[in-house]
Formats: sequence, C-alpha cells, structure tokens
Amino acid sequence: MTHSLHREGPLDLLNQEYVLFIYPARGFNYDGSGPKSRRLMEMLYTQGPANMLVSTLRKNMYFGIPQEEILKSIKDGAKIYSVFNEKEKIKKTLAKIMEMDEGISIMVSGVADRVREVAAELGLNPHTINLSLGIHGRTDRLPPADIRQFTTMCGHGMVSPRLVRDVIRRIKTGKLDLWEASLIVAAPCACGIVNPYRSVEMLKDLVPVYTVNRL
Amino acid sequence: MLIRKDLCVGCGRCQPYCPVDAIHFEELKSAVDQEICYECGTCFRSEICPVDAIEESPYVFDYPRALRKFFSDPTATHALTGIAGRGTEESKTNDVTNRVGPEDVGIAIEVGRPTLGMDLPNIQKITRAMAKAGITEIEPENPFNDMIQVRETGDLKPELMGERVLSAIMEFKVKRSELGHVLRTIKEVAKEVDSVFVVDVYTRLEPGVIIPREVLNTIEAEGYTWRPNSKINMGLGRANKGKDS
Repeated sequence: MTHSLHREGPLDLLNQEYVLFIYPARGFNYDGSGPKSRRLMEMLYTQGPANMLVSTLRKNMYFGIPQEEILKSIKDGAKIYSVFNEKEKIKKTLAKIMEMDEGISIMVSGVADRVREVAAELGLNPHTINLSLGIHGRTDRLPPADIRQFTTMCGHGMVSPRLVRDVIRRIKTGKLDLWEASLIVAAPCACGIVNPYRSVEMLKDLVPVYTVNRL
Repeated sequence: MLIRKDLCVGCGRCQPYCPVDAIHFEELKSAVDQEICYECGTCFRSEICPVDAIEESPYVFDYPRALRKFFSDPTATHALTGIAGRGTEESKTNDVTNRVGPEDVGIAIEVGRPTLGMDLPNIQKITRAMAKAGITEIEPENPFNDMIQVRETGDLKPELMGERVLSAIMEFKVKRSELGHVLRTIKEVAKEVDSVFVVDVYTRLEPGVIIPREVLNTIEAEGYTWRPNSKINMGLGRANKGKDS
C-alpha cells in the first residue's frame, strides 16, 4: 500500500506533517514482532502524535478506546500507523526508535526535503524512497483540489468528498466546530493517518468560501 | 452493503459517508445502489446509523463480487494471498527484504486512486498495455495477480468484467534502464482509461539520502514530475536470525 504517498494540500502544512509507519516484514521478522511493536507503540504515546492506529483494532486514537486495550491487542505482524505535526516531534520519536533498536522497518512519509533533513540531523541512512509521479487519466472527474486535500489524507479513499462538504455545511450552520468536524473527517480512515490538526487549518480557509444550499 | 428498509428511519446520516455516493433516498429511506457500491464498508464502520440498519450483504464474499470487498475495504484480507491491503509491503520493508535491489526500480500503478475507483474493463486496458510492453510479472504476493487470466496478454478473468474496485495496485520491478519504456507506456494508456490512477516509483537511496540521478533523469525525460511528497524507508529494519514462519 502506498496510502500515505499522495497527500495533497498547502505546502506550508505538508512541510510540517510526517506520517510514520512501524511495519514488520512478512517472512522476515513477523515472528516475535508483537512485543517489539507494543513497546514501540507505548513509546509513541509519549511523543504526541496527531493521530495513531494499530492494525489489530483499526480505530484511531480519538475513538476513546483505552490505551491498555489497544496495546493488549497487538500481536505478531501488527502494523502501527501514526502522523506527527512537528519536525521536532518526529525527530525525537525517531531518536527513541533508534535507541530501542527493535529491528522493525520504519517508514516516514512527508515532503522529501524535510524527511531528508531529519535523517541527516539524526545520522540516519535511509534505504529506499518511494516517489509519487502524480495522478493520471481522467483527472477532470476528480473532486476539486480543495476537497482532495482532505480526502487524500486517506490514500485508501475512505474519506468521502461529500463528507467533507457535509461538515463544512454543518460548521457554517453552527452545528459543529472545526475540531469536531475534523474528527468526523478523520474517523473513516482505517489506517488512522488523517491529521485532524491539518484539517482544522484547512477548514478555517475553506469554510468561508463555501455556500450552504440546505440547512 | 445493504440498508434494511424495515429498520431505516430515513434520516440520511449515512449518505455523506459513502466515498462513491452510492447511498440515496428511495421512497424516503436510504438505499444502497448495488451497482455502484464497492463494498468498502465505510458506511457500516462509521456507526452513524441510529437504528443499526446498515448491514453487510450476505453475498459480499461470493465470487466474483468478493473482488470489490478485497480491493476496496482496507480492513479486509484477500482470501487468496492472506494479505490485507491492495498491494504488498513494497518499499515499506525493503530494508529487510531487499526485494528492490540497487539496479532495480519498483513501479506501482495504483488504479482507481484517488477517490474514483475503476472498473475491470478499464483495468484491463492497463494490464494489456503493460503486457504488450513486456511487463508480465507482477509482484508474486500482490493480490492483483488473482485478477489476471493470461499473463502474456494482460487479459483479466472474463467473469470479473462486471466488477469494480476502489483501488488495486499493479506492482512490479524493472531494471533502471527499462524505466523510461515503462513510463512511456503508462502515459499512453492514461489517455484510454475512463478513470484515474497514480504512479509511484521506488528506488534504493544512495548515501546521504541521494536519489539516483539515473532514475530522476529518466523520470524527467519522460515528461513526468515527482511531487514533493515521498515515502522513505529509514533503514532501521533487520531480518530475524533463522527462518521466519
């Protein structure tokens, strides 16, 4: 899956966003990866991610599931997905991961130059890079870019363009605040990598330019 | 997915959750258009229905409709490969698996992404074009293999032609010297498909997080640009000693 590679949005916001995956390799280090992933996730909780999810539960950190229950669900092969909002946070997190040295693959998605800086500052030697060469085909059929900046945070396409428009309408009619709307948009993503903090910033810009056609 | 008419109260709250607008009012109740529905399960997982009227269709795992589920619901595990997700681990675990070596380039054509999904006749246009260009081997554990009837021609299984998927990833690797040829083919077939796909290229990094010049030059020469985003394997993984089960 390359579900974090094609995120769209304002570059100033993308520059601050880092998606981090903890990913055991099938047939290579699955066995015994459960306790390692659990230790890593425990550590992630202390680093202030903007969102996080483990593949064994598929509910993001805003669903109110107790931390103990989430950690308990982790077994061999579990993958952990998270997103961070600040360079310093991802840097500290990666430094901790290096220190713990669990041997599980770590991916960071973000603006290449920013990730490169983080790697250089930590003395890391990244192994492989995945580049996005953009969208092809009938791009005229896509929702507009201002909606895609929300929907592409979930590369699996679980965040519906209509849901984004719906929360905009509900903000404008006073039924939701920006944060509540952002959590609604984040909920369908089964990987927990929709960043509600970024959604708040984008909604601030977007809400005034949309009109309400029904209450 | 199905919405039980006897339970639905017609509040319409589920409708915005469908990524492809398959839920509409029918006689004041919400109903799922079975032709459009990808079986992604988003409406069900949203837990938005106040009367629990949303249910998984009893035939969701029947062949060939099950294809929709396997390639549209990220929580579903493909029955053939036992792998959840649309593709494989690709670059995410390349530091451990070394599947894409120093002279290789991994390529992924993510059909249907973003948002629109793609039907099988359109996917077949891509597989046929790629087969014609000599790409007949897809990553072995990639569930995409299960759609293919004849590798040499790129023909898909005829019984699947009425199906559609929210996303599937055609993933393969080539030698760096072949990248240009493949990108050219992709550009050509993009003119024929009635939906969208995204293209990714992944390659080993040189020390200092340097992307090999040869790869970048080829991408540029074929008229592509790479987006600022990237996905970087930080090189912190290692294989277990001895064989993994």
